[in-house]
Amino acid sequence: MKGMAKYYGRKIIWYVITLICAVFLNFLLPRLMPGNPVDMLVNQAATGVTDPGVREQMVRQYTEEFGLDKSLPEQFFTYVGNLFQGNLGMSISQYPRSVNDIVGSAIIWTLALQLPSIIVGWFIGNLLGALAAYIRKGVDKALLPIFMFISNIPTFGLGMVFLWLFASQLHWFPVGGGYAPSMTPHWSMEFVLSVLDHYRLPFLTMVLVTIGGQAIGMRSMSIYELNADYVKYSRFLGIRDHKIVGYVFRNAMLPQVTGLALSLGTMVGGNLVAEMVFSYPGIGSTIFDSISGRDYPLLSSCTLIITIMVLIANLVVEILYAVIDPRVKATQTDS
Amino acid sequence: MAKYMLEVNKLKTKYVTRFKEDVYAVDGVSLKIEEGKSLGIAGESGCGKSTLALSLMGYYFAPLHYMSGEIIVDGLKISDMKPDDVRRKVLGNEIAYIPQAAMNALNPTQKIIRFIEDVIHAHDKKVSKKDIYDMAVERFQILGLPKEVLEKHAVELSGGMKQRTVIAISTILSPKVLIADEPSSALDVTSQKMVIRMLRELMEKGFIKSMIFITHELPLLYNVTDDIMVMYAGQIVEKGTAKEMVFDPVHPYSKGLMGSIIVPEAGTREQKLEAIPGTPPNLKRPPAGCRFAARCKYAKPECSFYEVPEKEFGNGRMYRCLYDVDYLKEVYGRNG
Repeated sequence: MKGMAKYYGRKIIWYVITLICAVFLNFLLPRLMPGNPVDMLVNQAATGVTDPGVREQMVRQYTEEFGLDKSLPEQFFTYVGNLFQGNLGMSISQYPRSVNDIVGSAIIWTLALQLPSIIVGWFIGNLLGALAAYIRKGVDKALLPIFMFISNIPTFGLGMVFLWLFASQLHWFPVGGGYAPSMTPHWSMEFVLSVLDHYRLPFLTMVLVTIGGQAIGMRSMSIYELNADYVKYSRFLGIRDHKIVGYVFRNAMLPQVTGLALSLGTMVGGNLVAEMVFSYPGIGSTIFDSISGRDYPLLSSCTLIITIMVLIANLVVEILYAVIDPRVKATQTDS
Repeated sequence: MAKYMLEVNKLKTKYVTRFKEDVYAVDGVSLKIEEGKSLGIAGESGCGKSTLALSLMGYYFAPLHYMSGEIIVDGLKISDMKPDDVRRKVLGNEIAYIPQAAMNALNPTQKIIRFIEDVIHAHDKKVSKKDIYDMAVERFQILGLPKEVLEKHAVELSGGMKQRTVIAISTILSPKVLIADEPSSALDVTSQKMVIRMLRELMEKGFIKSMIFITHELPLLYNVTDDIMVMYAGQIVEKGTAKEMVFDPVHPYSKGLMGSIIVPEAGTREQKLEAIPGTPPNLKRPPAGCRFAARCKYAKPECSFYEVPEKEFGNGRMYRCLYDVDYLKEVYGRNG
């Protein structure tokens, strides 16, 4: 058990180091973008104001309020200090809303869309991959090219095609958004139904893309495992095929779990872009808005939230992995 | 009359390849093993030893296919049974198998005891887990394996321990025939000895009724089995008792094999090591006549023309060569 604690301890230290780097980059990178957010804000706020003195004063006031007059290191320490208090700062583009408020409402949409779609896609993909490997012949020949095809389309690309075909041409789905444009978010049956209605197409798209990639991986892993020595040995001891398929599925699954952890980042990233295509009110769309508005605090916070989500998911997968694979346990507890 | 545990008559099997070029890896093999006896099968790599082992079990996984011949296990003709019946009633139960690569023979994510449960439940679903555990502990203790192994995963065992565990699992249902395909070839000498001792114990205690031991290590066979068969290009070329085969081989190929053994004694380093020249023939198109003729240093032109039958001589010995035993011995005498 001591070895296990050491194993997780080491893992968590690495995660903390990753997080520190991420916080630093999240702070720095948006600020390297050309353009000045205050100018944009003032341009909007001061429409019709002709007195250059007033304008100048507004610029000075905003600059001070956002702390942009200080040097970068100073800004960084204020930012980190605020982070520790759970304060992500004030949004520039959606002034005077706080970043906490904006991110808080967006993240629910993103989590509700991404988590289920990745998990469902992962399960279906693995199941189909294993089936293709086990049955081979026609099933495999038919499924493999399809998997290949969809796994290589970016989510947003497939999203655009689907939007055009199913929403705009066939009218099977609404054209975008998280709910009907005429509504405001509130708890009612009508609103929930509208949300579900708008949920279907982005969900399907993301599930489909996830299925493709996962199925290809699972298929080759299963074929490899089906030829393993323990499969042959089990057969010659009279063990029936359905039992052996169980062994194979479990063992082929293990690398897929790692694969999920590794690809989580890219998956989330790809799906965020897809959110924009569907004008879904999640983090993806928020990021897009914050980039066009040069909204440093909002952009940093969004990317930080994504980083933290991916890190947590990875950690969970790794903890799970040590539980389901005795080999990891054996090697780690020995050292 | 002696009771035969395994009788095989003119067994032929083939590998079916993609381009319709069948490989006849076992070509008319006949053998018999009495109760309590063991038979060794020797030969170079690629001569069909392992395929013979797989073919003897009566259940064929593609690309291996049954062609003709009989397999009878203790009076039960399994070559006539439906494949599903063979799998349920014969494999693991009547005939057990120890694979060549026992290192990877165990499922890496399964505890040994869970696998034993699966093996036993494949043949009898009614046995309780408690009974299986007790049975496994008893068997493991008799065979000198610590019972803690049962609760471990394969990765936690050393190579030698893994091999012995595999042997214990293969024989847990006390089969009539055990087919061991190079069970000790990948082990160090100490583990090798323990494996051999374990196999002997299994025979002595009656947990297995007969054994086929396949290896390319001839000195090992001399120590383990009662009889030895030498295989070449899918056929048996000579059969006899272990002693006869090691000290008095008749067939030029057996003779060559015995001569290729490296014995660690003074002077071997300086000596030029003898080996049989050439490689075994391509079994997609087996040569006409004697299959060994192309590599035989005593071969004459007629060797490649006449199909050579199995010939019996002496006290139940068999060989497959165009020439008489006396003539061969005279030739060997002349060549030293």
